[in-house]
Amino acid sequence: MTHSGPIIHPTGLIERPVEPLLKVSGLSVSYGRIRAVDAVDLAVEPGRIVSLVGSNGAGKTTTLMALSGLLPLAAGRIVFAGEDITGLAPELRVSHGIAHVPERRRVFAGMSVRENLALGAYSRGDATEIAGDIERLTQLFPILGKRMHQAAGTLSGGEQQMLAIARGLMSRPQLLIMDEPTMGLAPQMIDLILDTVLEIRKLGTTVLLVEQNAIEAMRLSDHVYIMRLGRIVHEDSGANIDTERVKAFYMGVDA
Amino acid sequence: MDYFGQLLANGLVLGAIYALTAVAFTLVYGVVRLVNFAFGELFMLGAFLTTSLMLPEVRLFGTVVPMPGFPLPIAALGAIVITGVIGVVVDRIAYRPLRNAPRLAPLITSIAVSVVLQSLAQTAWGAEELRFPQFYLATLPPVVLFDSIYLSVMDLVVMATAIVAMLGLSLFIARSSLGRAMRASAEDQTAAMLVGIPVNRVVAAAFAIGSGFAALAGLLYAQTYGFAHSSMGFLPGLKALTAAVLGGIGSIPGAALGGLILGLVEALGAGYLPNGTAWKDAISFVLLVGLLYLRPQGLLGRPELNSAGRGSLLGGASEAGAFWLRAVFARVDALLARFAAAGAPAALGLLAIAIVVGTLVPSDYWLRILTMVVIYGMLASGLNVIVGFAGLLDLGFVAFWAVGSYLTSILFVLVLKESYGVAPQEVWWLLYLNLPLGGLLAAGLAVLLGTPTLRLRGDYLAIMTLGFGEIVRVVAINWMDLTRGPMGIRGIPAPNLFGISLGSPRAQFFFALALAAVVVFAVARLVRSYVGRAWVAIREDEEAAEAMGVPTARYKLYAYAASGFVGGFVGVFYAHSQQYISPLNFSLFENILLLMLVVLGGLGTFIGPFVGALIWIVFLQLALDLPFVQAYPETRFALLGVVLIVLMVFRPQGLAASARVGLTMPGARAKEAA
Repeated sequence: MTHSGPIIHPTGLIERPVEPLLKVSGLSVSYGRIRAVDAVDLAVEPGRIVSLVGSNGAGKTTTLMALSGLLPLAAGRIVFAGEDITGLAPELRVSHGIAHVPERRRVFAGMSVRENLALGAYSRGDATEIAGDIERLTQLFPILGKRMHQAAGTLSGGEQQMLAIARGLMSRPQLLIMDEPTMGLAPQMIDLILDTVLEIRKLGTTVLLVEQNAIEAMRLSDHVYIMRLGRIVHEDSGANIDTERVKAFYMGVDA
Repeated sequence: MDYFGQLLANGLVLGAIYALTAVAFTLVYGVVRLVNFAFGELFMLGAFLTTSLMLPEVRLFGTVVPMPGFPLPIAALGAIVITGVIGVVVDRIAYRPLRNAPRLAPLITSIAVSVVLQSLAQTAWGAEELRFPQFYLATLPPVVLFDSIYLSVMDLVVMATAIVAMLGLSLFIARSSLGRAMRASAEDQTAAMLVGIPVNRVVAAAFAIGSGFAALAGLLYAQTYGFAHSSMGFLPGLKALTAAVLGGIGSIPGAALGGLILGLVEALGAGYLPNGTAWKDAISFVLLVGLLYLRPQGLLGRPELNSAGRGSLLGGASEAGAFWLRAVFARVDALLARFAAAGAPAALGLLAIAIVVGTLVPSDYWLRILTMVVIYGMLASGLNVIVGFAGLLDLGFVAFWAVGSYLTSILFVLVLKESYGVAPQEVWWLLYLNLPLGGLLAAGLAVLLGTPTLRLRGDYLAIMTLGFGEIVRVVAINWMDLTRGPMGIRGIPAPNLFGISLGSPRAQFFFALALAAVVVFAVARLVRSYVGRAWVAIREDEEAAEAMGVPTARYKLYAYAASGFVGGFVGVFYAHSQQYISPLNFSLFENILLLMLVVLGGLGTFIGPFVGALIWIVFLQLALDLPFVQAYPETRFALLGVVLIVLMVFRPQGLAASARVGLTMPGARAKEAA
């Protein structure tokens, strides 16, 4: 398992410092005749948190699903860690180092927390280290340690979200894709989850985040892309981004 | 006590076999939500392959082929592996392209696969039974329990094998990594892919294991009853599906429990009920219907499995297949849509063509065939009302047809002629009374049968209607006083008008044509009314229809009633046209055939059923001129199955999707324009 260690750099100050971990060019996805994502270019540098924000229907989730191979591309190229993964099956993308924490968590409700975590490591060959990884993840998410043998469906929404994230991390990804991790959660829980995102980066995992709490997301991101009607309309470093402008985009005004 | 004990033992053996097959259904249903009707045929293949591998030589396709003559265990292992591979191939070809297709498509495909496998097995091994060779364990003296219950050593082997296989599978599912992946895929395929599970391979594994279980059950069955035959898997397959539903489909302990209960109930029922052996096939279906009514999720199942899944039962397109093939389908579709848009003039044009053909065709032989086309077209229209317009898969439609046929036959032959000595010519008018009467009786039965199915959706509905159809058939076979059972009723008078016989093939053809005009007109009026609009709404999205205030239960019952009426109405004429009916005319296979004809011609269109019937029945006759077909007539059915599989895989929405009556009706638009 190739493991790029944490790359420490002052947040947002370095413009395009290294070869991006994920490079997407001209990505287009269609639902029948409707083009949901149109010629999107993205670059995610290693060790960073990159956000994709935009209003409902902008094509964020569709983009993420195309990245993890759930949707076929109409056009475009996806390069991950120097390798073209455009036509790769979803399960092979996981073994290449991309984990996707899907919208609405989608934990395996009928299975125990431990089984969910073990399934997260399905693509890994090193069965012996799985127990150790579960142990380490319970340090990141102590509540999961207490719920280890409970069915995942009986967990609260926030706990399920933690489980979904932990399940994603079980594959030891280089890139963790998170789709709306705070959806439907209580405010306290939202803060906790967003803190976790920072923790995950500290552990050396790159994060591509889609968040409805755009302002919060931009605050913790190194780089932000703004999507509207299937296109990237604006991008900037997290520190420089103009929140007023973002609000305008959300309102549907072309600022 | 001795008798009871012996029945119990027999029931346990039978139950073990049902349970093993039920596991196949439940495993695959659990993972991909597909009722793979073809497991009955994989069961049969397991039996044939084992038998063949045990023999020194076997006649295959008419030539003697040397065989290894393995002992049972090795032959069984070989058969299980081969059947497992066949199961995987079937999944790859016929089901995998349909994972995201409308729900009706894979159901129809699995029925078609079933027909193909059964026909091919008949071609390969012939229509006769293949005797199961003696295995040395079977020659050992039976074990005697309590001085009175005899169990052969092989019976014990069957039970032990079933127990070991099911415990092994449960353990495998619970503990192994692949088993865990199967459970994950069953819960949420998308999430399973996202954690890196190769879902397609997991599903293939489920098919391999399920097919292996079906093969194991089939070979144990062949061993117990001493033969293999191409249609042997049909009834045990249905029973096993019943067992799986009984226990709660998707649950392995449920399948074991369901199989056991079914085996015991059947053995005890056959032993204790008056004339029980004759009725035993009905027992399991009555149990099924009762259970689905009271507890649709089964004994150990979870209720959410009885859901339709949102969205249309028929809609949606496929991206599969070569471009040219899709283009061809699209062209045909556009052509049919243009035709459908023409509405009444087009229908009248067709009628005129039919009249000209009927007048000019010189041969009585071809007139009889064309009459059959019209009859099957009308029957398919009746089925089309419920499947094509209301989107409810009905596998019990033949029951309505049977009711009409039996009503008129019993009245004319058994009551009037034989009990009162009334000559049919004197009461010629009774036929015209019987037509609507048969329709009403069938409609009444349809409502009666439809009511308990209202809570059921999708696959469960198909299974329950199938149960009903089988019950009616078993009743027709066994209620000797009423129906004369398997002998059938002979001497049904030909249609007659004011004392003038309409028995000539030409007169019959025109009689049929007149009825067809009535049926098509009535169905078209109904479908173009608010009732039809409600049906289409239910077909496209039942939950949305309900949310919009459509009383779905009531309109579903209307659909059953209308469909039943057509079935009964045509059934009356059918009996007079054939002049002889027997329960064989109303088998589930006839229902499947009608369904295939509707799909072939275009679900949810007015002309589609007739087009399907025309293509099929004319082909059936023309193909008889080929020497190959003369040697193997069943290959025609295999071909129909293959055509349907191709059609479903490359065009799951059906051939005439744009011609189908939708929520926006072309007629209405034309009226606005005028």
